[in-house]
Formats: sequence, C-alpha cells, structure tokens
Amino acid sequence: MDENKTEQIEPTASEAAEKLRKTRPSGRRRSLLSYQRRKGLYGLCFISLWLIGTIVFFLIPLGKSLAYSFCEVKIKQGGKDLTWKGLANYDYAVNADKKFMDNLEATLLETLWKTPLIIIFSLFIAVILNQKFRGRALARAIFFLPVIIATGPVFKVISGDMNSTGNIGGEQFSTMFSTDLVGQLMQFLGIYGLSDKMGLIISTVADNIFGIVWNSGIQILLFLAALQNIPPSAREAAQIEGATSWEFFWKITFPYVSPFILANLIFTVIDTFTNPMNTVMKRILDKKNEWAFGEASAMAWIYFLIIIAAIGIITFIVNKFIYYEVE
Amino acid sequence: MTETTSPEKMSRKQQKKLRVQGLSREERGYLRRKAAADKVWPLFRFVILFGLSFIILYPLIYMVSCAFRDRSDMSDPTVMWITRHHTIDVIKETMKAMNFWETLRTTLLLNIGCALVQVISCAITGYGFARFDFRGKKLLFGIVIMMILVPMQVIALPLYTQFRFFLGRFNLIDTMWAMYLPAMTGNGIRSGLMILIFRQFFRGLPKEIEDAAYIDGCGPLRTFIQVMVPNAASAFLTVFLFSVVWYWNDYYVSMTFFVHTETVATMLTNLDSRLGAALFNNATIQLDEREKIVWKEAGCLLSIAPLIIMYVFLQKYFTEGIERSGLVA
Repeated sequence: MDENKTEQIEPTASEAAEKLRKTRPSGRRRSLLSYQRRKGLYGLCFISLWLIGTIVFFLIPLGKSLAYSFCEVKIKQGGKDLTWKGLANYDYAVNADKKFMDNLEATLLETLWKTPLIIIFSLFIAVILNQKFRGRALARAIFFLPVIIATGPVFKVISGDMNSTGNIGGEQFSTMFSTDLVGQLMQFLGIYGLSDKMGLIISTVADNIFGIVWNSGIQILLFLAALQNIPPSAREAAQIEGATSWEFFWKITFPYVSPFILANLIFTVIDTFTNPMNTVMKRILDKKNEWAFGEASAMAWIYFLIIIAAIGIITFIVNKFIYYEVE
Repeated sequence: MTETTSPEKMSRKQQKKLRVQGLSREERGYLRRKAAADKVWPLFRFVILFGLSFIILYPLIYMVSCAFRDRSDMSDPTVMWITRHHTIDVIKETMKAMNFWETLRTTLLLNIGCALVQVISCAITGYGFARFDFRGKKLLFGIVIMMILVPMQVIALPLYTQFRFFLGRFNLIDTMWAMYLPAMTGNGIRSGLMILIFRQFFRGLPKEIEDAAYIDGCGPLRTFIQVMVPNAASAFLTVFLFSVVWYWNDYYVSMTFFVHTETVATMLTNLDSRLGAALFNNATIQLDEREKIVWKEAGCLLSIAPLIIMYVFLQKYFTEGIERSGLVA
C-alpha cells in the first residue's frame, strides 16, 4: 500500500510543478528576462574595453602568426609577401631543424623532472613557514625574494654566473653537495649497489637546487595561502585524536592544499615553458632574427600546442586526486 | 636535601608521574615521541631554513661584494668576499654605461603608469566576468585563459607589425604607446592572470553589498566604483605591486617594441656590449670575462635596488595581500 502511495504522489507533484511553471504570469517573466538582458548588457560594457584590446592586440596577431606558419614570408619595402606553403614550415621544424627538436626534447625533459620537485619543495617550505617560530617574518621575506627577482634579466645574469663562469660562483658552491659525499654516506650506511644511480640523481638535484629554490617563490606563496585556509577545527580534532605530524600532514594538510597543487602545477609548467630564457624560446627568437618568420611561427605553434597538451594531461590526471571541500 | 628544597616542584613531578602512570602504553609512547620531535625539529628546521636562505641570498651577497671592489680584485685569488680595495668607481662607471638616471626615469614613467592603467582595466574586466551573465561569456573567458597560456613570443612579431602600422598610418614603435595601449585595454604583461585574479576576488565578495547599492538606485558603474573598489583595496595594491614588478623585470616585450627607448631591464640585458663603448670609447675592446663580472654585478645591483627597496617597505602587501586576494578562492 505504502509503495503505491508514494508512486502516485511523485508524478502528481512533478506535474504540479510543471503546471506552475507553465502558468507563471508571462508579464513577470518578460520583465525578469529584460532585467537579465540589461545586466548582460552592463557586463558587456564592463568587458568591452578589454574585448577591443584583445581583438587588436591578441586575436589578430594570433591569427596572423597562425597564417605565417603556413606561408613563406618575405619582407619587402613597406610590407610582407605571403605565399602559401602548406605544412612545409612544420615539416621543416620537425624534420629538418635538428636544433629545435633537441632543444624541445631537453626542455620537455627538464620540465618533467623539475616541476614535481618544485611542487614538493615549495609545499615543504610552505609547511615550515606556516609554523610558529622566532624569525619567521625574516624567513618569509627571504623566501619570497625570488618572486620579485626571478622574472627579470638580473636572474639571467645571476644564473649565468652560477653556471658558467664558475668564478667564485657555482662550482665551489655545488661541491658542498658533491657526489662523493653522497656516495660516501651511502657506503657508510652499507648501501653499495644503489650508490651510483642514487648518487647521480641526488647530485643532479643538488646541482639544480639553485634553480629550484629560485623558481618556487610564487608557489610557496600560494601554498602558504592555502595552508592558512585550513580551519583550526580540523587541527584541533587531529590533536585530540592524537595524530602525529606525519599523519596530520597526509590526512589534513594534503587534502586541503590539493586544489592548489593543481594550480601550482599549471603555473609552474606555464612559467617554465614561457620563460624567455628557455632554449626553445631562444631558438624561435633566433629564427625570427634571421627573418625566417614562417619557420619561427610554425615552431612557436608546435611549442604552444605541446604546452596545451601538457596542461591538459596534468589537469586530467591531477583532477582525479583532488579533494574539494565544497561538494 | 633535594627532597626538601622545593616541595612544590616535587609535588608537580609526582603529579606528572601519577598522570603518566595512568596513561596506557600507546599514549605514553605518543607523548615521548612528541617530546622528542619537539626538541629535534626546531634545530632541523633552522638548519634547512638557514641553508636555503643562503642559497637565495648568495647571489645578492656576491653582487654587493663585487660591486664595491676594484676590478683587479677579480683576478686576485685571495679575495673572496671582502675586497682588498674598496671603491665605488665600478658603480659610477656602470651608472655611466647604463645612463642610469635617464633610464630610471623612463622606466619609472613606463612602469608605474602601465601598472596603474593595467590594474584598473583588469579590475573592470574581472568584475564584468565575475558578476554579469551575458551571451558568449564562457567563450570570452576561454580567451582570457588563452591569454595566460600563449607565450608572448608567439604573437610578438605580428604585434610588431601591428604597432608599426597602427590603424594604417601611425608608427607606434619606440613610443610609450606601444606599452600603454595594451595595458590600457587589459592586454599588457600577464594581464590574463590579473583578470583571473580579479574575477576570483570579486566572486568571493558577498553579493548583498551590491544588491543594497542597486536597491538604493546606484548604476552598475557607480556601484563598482563606490562599493566594490573600496572593498578590494588590498587586492588592488597586491596586484599593482606584482604588475610593477613584472613590468620592471620585462625585457622581452620592451626589446621587441623599443629601439632607442631603454628601460633598466633592457639596459642590463645589453650591458655586455655597451661596456666597451661607454667606458673606453672603444666598442671593440676585449675585456676579460672575469673582470666584466664586476660591472655586470654592479648593473644587477643597480637595477634591482629600487625593487628591493620597495619590497622591504611593502613586503606585507606582497605576502599578505595574495592570501586575501582571489587566488585563494
């Protein structure tokens, strides 16, 4: 009996709702729409300035560069000459230009191993900087310093000094973390077989620690912001339950900051890919300076498509592991 | 003797002993581990932070050390941090080579102006995206995301021709318009990111304050200026500061559009080639790479000094602002 009743009630309820929707006074509906339309118009007004700018300074150049990539571009007095070449430029970039492909491979590989390291490192530092201790303000100030320097030419000079001249710079510094030391530590601990491979990995990381530290300013900032958003109640609950800091990190901290891991991943990838100092960018620039605009555009587009693909893949994978509080 | 010295202390100890005895084995283990961790961790933390701070500060210390030394000191193996000859000649020479004051003036004019205009245009756009529904909004917002993703290098060249023959007849290359126009229309350096930040921020503000203004008969623009902007002051400041930094550090865009106009960043990038001509009246002079470092580091010091000064005074807004602004949402 009861089941029957509910079955009967449900359709009538939905029917009634539909009826209500249909019989809603049309006048009121129109005024609602017009209000919405008016608001939409206002919105368009708000973004109109940007829209004009985007068409002129972004979309048209973007389209043009796409067109260049399919053409042979000749510069002549007062303009350019475009002749259709089809995919020849792309073919050149992929098959003929050895340098471009090598640089591309190197950049991709570097991004692949550097990005996770930057993320882990910045999360670690953010957790530390979120604790209470004396001199925290100073430590924060120092760790955010790269934010204002790392995007500029100063960083170029600095990292150049660190890597190449080795004057008083990089080399002496990186010997502090030299392979021998790591290897010796491993031997001391009785680990022999691992030591070569591990030593190589650790020494690579140690040699690149400069780049990692200097490139994770914004990431630390974002993670810190995320950490401060963890509700105190979660912390208290964990304390009452007797969670160790290790458990606390994995069960409370990590889920809360996981959306920011995605944001930081994307930010890091974009940052490394679009950095004017990276070798692929340099190659594209060189081509441009040789007035080979067609090839340069084709390379830029290949590169851009790879960036999009990389970010798409990252988003797809990471989204599965993210915990969203609101849902 | 010891038993009678402090009965109060004894009793506390006893109390503690009693309490510990009352605990289970696991609880005791937990407390012991916690106590050990509490003692070791601060030391460990200090070592890590100190080491990493050193990595960050190392180039800066080196910069200062180099900028105030005589260039002969570069070849002196005994000189490492403290110089044998203190001098500010190198700084003076670098200033001359960079044409520093003139360049600084241009940079500031460009920098502050562009950053200001950009923040305003991005805030307006971000507000439009945050609070209004209109047809094609998703598509347009997709374009904003595209703006973040597309590297400047992809569009730099067509953009150059765009400015070279602006509206068919104006040549904007080498004028400040080439920087100001995009900034004004929300297409400056990293504008996409700023629009995104403002959109997130305005979405995070409660809708009620706006509705109240509407009911009182405020138009949307007035609501935006009088109600939303004051609420967003800290976000504005943070974004403005970042905008200043990004414009200051930019050398790629400026080098594309400027031929004779020099900013501090482009000056520094070209410092290598300018040194010979500016200091020895001989553009082809071969300087020792090692000795060149002195001027390079001095140039670095000069070009980040204004930023560092700003950072020292406004550090709070860099770090705290971002926590409150939209990125958290």
